[in-house]
Amino acid sequence: MFGLTLAQMRRSLGRLTAAGIAIVIGTAFVAATLLAGEVLKRSSYDSVAASFADAALIVRPTSDPDAAGYGSPLTQGDLTTIRLTDGVRAADPVASTYVVLGQGGKSVYQTVIGVGSDPSLQPLAVTEGALPSSPDEIALPADVVARLGTTVGGTVTQTVTVVVPGAGSEDEWEWEETKVTLVVTGLVDDPNGAFSMTGGAGLLTDDAIQTRISFDFGGDVQFREATVALEDGADVESVRADLESTIGQLGFTVLTKDEAAAASVTALTNDEDVFTMTILAFAAIALLVAALVIANTFQVIVAQRTRTLALLRCVGASKRQLRSSVLLEASLLGVIASAIGFALGALLVQITVLALQRVDLDIPIPRSITITVASVVWPLAVGTLVTVLASLVPARAATRVAPLAALRPAELDGLSKSSSKVRLIFSLLLVVGGGALMAIGLGLSASSSVEFGLMTAMLGGAASFVGVLLGAVFWVPKIVAGIARLLSRFGASAQLAAANTVRNPRRTAATSTALLIGVTLVAMMSVGAATARNSLATTLDEQYPFDVAIDAGVISSAPDDGTDPATGLTPALIEDLSKVSGVAAMAQLSGTNVTVTWPDDSTSQDVVVNAVDPAAAAAAVNPDGLFDGLDDQTVVVGLFVASAYHLDSGSTLQLAGVDGTVTVNVVVANIGSDNIIATPAVGRELDGAAVVNGVWLKITDPSDASAIVADIRDTMSQTPAALTGAAMERAAMQQVIDTILAVIIGLLGIAVVIALIGVANTLSLSVLERRRESATLRAIGLSRRQLRTTLAIEGTLIAGVGAVLGVLLGLVYGWIGSTVVLGSFAGVRLTVPWRDLVLVVAIAIAAGLLASVLPARSAARTSPVEALAVE
Amino acid sequence: MDTTVYQTPPPVPETSTPAVRARSLTKLYGHGEGMVRALDGVDVDFAAGQFTAIMGPSGSGKSTLMHLLAGLDTASSGEAFIGSTDVTKLDDNQLTTLRRDRVGFVFQSFNLLPMFTAEQNITLPLTLAGVKIDADTKEWLATLVTTLGLGERLSHRPAELSGGQQQRVAIARALIARPEVVFADEPTGNLDTRSGAEVLSFLRRSVRELGRTIIMVTHDPAAAAYADRVVLIADGRIAGDIANPTPESVLAGLDALRTFETTADTGATGPGATGTTGATGATGATATGATAQVSV
Repeated sequence: MFGLTLAQMRRSLGRLTAAGIAIVIGTAFVAATLLAGEVLKRSSYDSVAASFADAALIVRPTSDPDAAGYGSPLTQGDLTTIRLTDGVRAADPVASTYVVLGQGGKSVYQTVIGVGSDPSLQPLAVTEGALPSSPDEIALPADVVARLGTTVGGTVTQTVTVVVPGAGSEDEWEWEETKVTLVVTGLVDDPNGAFSMTGGAGLLTDDAIQTRISFDFGGDVQFREATVALEDGADVESVRADLESTIGQLGFTVLTKDEAAAASVTALTNDEDVFTMTILAFAAIALLVAALVIANTFQVIVAQRTRTLALLRCVGASKRQLRSSVLLEASLLGVIASAIGFALGALLVQITVLALQRVDLDIPIPRSITITVASVVWPLAVGTLVTVLASLVPARAATRVAPLAALRPAELDGLSKSSSKVRLIFSLLLVVGGGALMAIGLGLSASSSVEFGLMTAMLGGAASFVGVLLGAVFWVPKIVAGIARLLSRFGASAQLAAANTVRNPRRTAATSTALLIGVTLVAMMSVGAATARNSLATTLDEQYPFDVAIDAGVISSAPDDGTDPATGLTPALIEDLSKVSGVAAMAQLSGTNVTVTWPDDSTSQDVVVNAVDPAAAAAAVNPDGLFDGLDDQTVVVGLFVASAYHLDSGSTLQLAGVDGTVTVNVVVANIGSDNIIATPAVGRELDGAAVVNGVWLKITDPSDASAIVADIRDTMSQTPAALTGAAMERAAMQQVIDTILAVIIGLLGIAVVIALIGVANTLSLSVLERRRESATLRAIGLSRRQLRTTLAIEGTLIAGVGAVLGVLLGLVYGWIGSTVVLGSFAGVRLTVPWRDLVLVVAIAIAAGLLASVLPARSAARTSPVEALAVE
Repeated sequence: MDTTVYQTPPPVPETSTPAVRARSLTKLYGHGEGMVRALDGVDVDFAAGQFTAIMGPSGSGKSTLMHLLAGLDTASSGEAFIGSTDVTKLDDNQLTTLRRDRVGFVFQSFNLLPMFTAEQNITLPLTLAGVKIDADTKEWLATLVTTLGLGERLSHRPAELSGGQQQRVAIARALIARPEVVFADEPTGNLDTRSGAEVLSFLRRSVRELGRTIIMVTHDPAAAAYADRVVLIADGRIAGDIANPTPESVLAGLDALRTFETTADTGATGPGATGTTGATGATGATATGATAQVSV
């Protein structure tokens, strides 16, 4: 039987190869994920190990919760105990903190560590200059020094923020900022990437570090762990034993550097495992699609072998033997394809690693991948298992071939029988039940239990999607048939293609469904991301109407202290600001202080009135119609002021400025400011000498906000003014959403690619099956081009239906999903990312067309003479 | 009735308007030592409005001859005409058009498209040509359907039809475009005797009543007897010609061919020897009247 199986495999080599590619891609995905996880683990191990420099031993709090002293950190006293132990040359705390450094209008958050007592315990290396030796000295990475525009020997300003009790009551706390000047004594490098995660580290003296830490946390300075260097010739194990007998009794454990790094990585990589598992979930989707493709292929292979199988039954093969033969074939295919897939995945990760080595990432990336047992066994096992499982149904079909079939003329039945009622009922139950769960999820999320609602909705979504997929065999062919009927009007090729796609509804359904899975998920993610982006943008627009707002404060036109009147924002500066590339619109505001008489006749002094041209203001803010009510009789006040002074749209105020008093109507709007916004005419009546003291800027491309805002800051560097606005928040948020979306779509893309291979596979199988039919058609007058067109239309039809249905399903799931997730905190604006969805469908259809090229070529080569051949 | 068995190439027949002609038609397979002459300079004419059967032993080249005449395969040398068109000079697209408009085919295994109804199968050549079905064609379709007795079956799919019915649908398909000639390749090969006889009667009726030209390849003398003329082929050459054949005369012709082949194999034949035997007997009337002999 084994020899027979091999012989049959050889005959179907082409078909098996096509199916194998699906498994190769799926397993390559799994293998690459696992191997990349290993690389990450290695890289974090190296990074952790690097932070221990050349320490022989590490002392850290024990992880054993039952040990005495569990949970207490290291103190200075503990360090002293370690230092006094025989054989110990030095011991330093592993402690890092950060400082805020500024120079010339720029500021950085910089991770810093202490210089330590022993060079062998210092992970950083001084490349230029010297170590800091007093608290007002610092050594920094070269790029930080460059960014701050200073040099070795130059200075930087450290901003220290301390929380102090407020002047008023005991419950109030205030932030107090002080500025300290530090001298840059040298440049440091991080040769082994110990601080790659925080972008390098600077050095302060140990005292400075301790002061800094006690500033932040107060009390006795404590440490996470300590590194220990040994005297020359000291035995590591005996020192370790000594330490364990002293400090070890106080709730600490003593580890070698390797043990400590390994333990740290284990703790760290719990997160990475989640990450790996997430990616493996996408690999599972890809494998599911691959399984559909394989099941399809085997079904056709078995159908094509009906005669051979029947003959085998005639000459005495048992059902069991036939089933084992098919399963054996699947196992062989699975093992071989998985092995190739693993090799491909390993190769990809290795190439990536080598490429990353060339890019200077400051992260210690291993030169070669580590192949673990798990990373080999899993892809092989999963790939083979999926292949065998996918062939179970075809294997059963093989056993159902009656010996009699060998004697019947080999005419494949045109239309297969209708599918079972059980399947239909099961599928309907899943769809209805899943739909109900999603509705409950929506309800739960609306009533603010988002997490529970999300879980319910996800469960419902998954159940209903499985139902939809199970039922695909019932409704996909109907839809294909409907479209096919429409197409039939367009010539002979379309009519033939239409008839061909509906002749084998199961196969068409399975092929379309494979594509539908990937497309649905891609569309769902796109819709979800677009909706999230749009909803959050709306929320941000409301909270921060301005992309960037600059406020220099009100400049008194007649200073009391006799200095020159301040000029506010000079025309030259405003000119410069308007020239910053990326600034789309600008509104200038002049400001003055007035005394306001509220409707209840109470008054407030020093309320700022900003005068702005209504048209310029409308152009420079994000929400539409924010300043619609603004005119020479009306001012706009913000929500906070309105609620504090019980103002409504229609209330009247009296404003008394230095040059005059006006009475105005009020319009309340969410302007995100406590100032009163008036027209220039009103402003001039109040204070004829008011100067421009603020601008609102709208930027062209929110995704480029960080660069534009940086330019604006640079332009403003000589002018004291506050800079606020939503541009940065919006940019950061959009970037996060876009990055996540790109990654997810990239991962799902693999499933889509596999499905498209399935389309090509199905088409080429159909071509093989219909060889004689094609020849007949050629003999009675179908041209080669018509034959190719027929196949192209078939491919397009199968792929197009899968893609369009996928997009529609994705829309529904995407909307439900984002409503559940966002429902509680933002006004959800359901958004259709038309461009993305059209692109998805276009790509799928183009790929369907492409998938038909090779099968169509082979079909067109069919000689009409073959029609005359008798099987 | 005349039965002629040629030993040398036959004289070029003089017909005023042959529907199909072959001139020095040659087909070689392989090359060098293994080269096979499937057809060896065949000259033959097929008259319009006639039902001609091509007969010969397996491997005699009868199928090859039909493939070349129909433009399904390319000739090594020589010419094959349908009407005045030399099919050996046409490219694939021209051949496709020729097959679509001027040639019909009937296959041994029917070759109907399983997803189309009988009617859709019949009109397929018109569909492929993108021709609208006009009143004239409708009438022709009705004639065919009536003649072939398919009236009740038009909306059935091939799987729901018997073999004989399927082949009748195939014949209607071959005739729908009113081709100049219909080629039939063993049309009764997959049918039982009764259905076979039916199909052959329809083929003959379509020649006699509908004025079609049919060239049929068969190895069944009973089938060949339905034809107006039988062309015998052996070894890639025309080896005989039987007018108004009966099963007996065909059998006799084939026997003669075999005898001739045997003697030819033993080397007894001299070059250029021609034997013509006049056989007597009313067309298809007497069972014993028709004999074919070879005089050496």
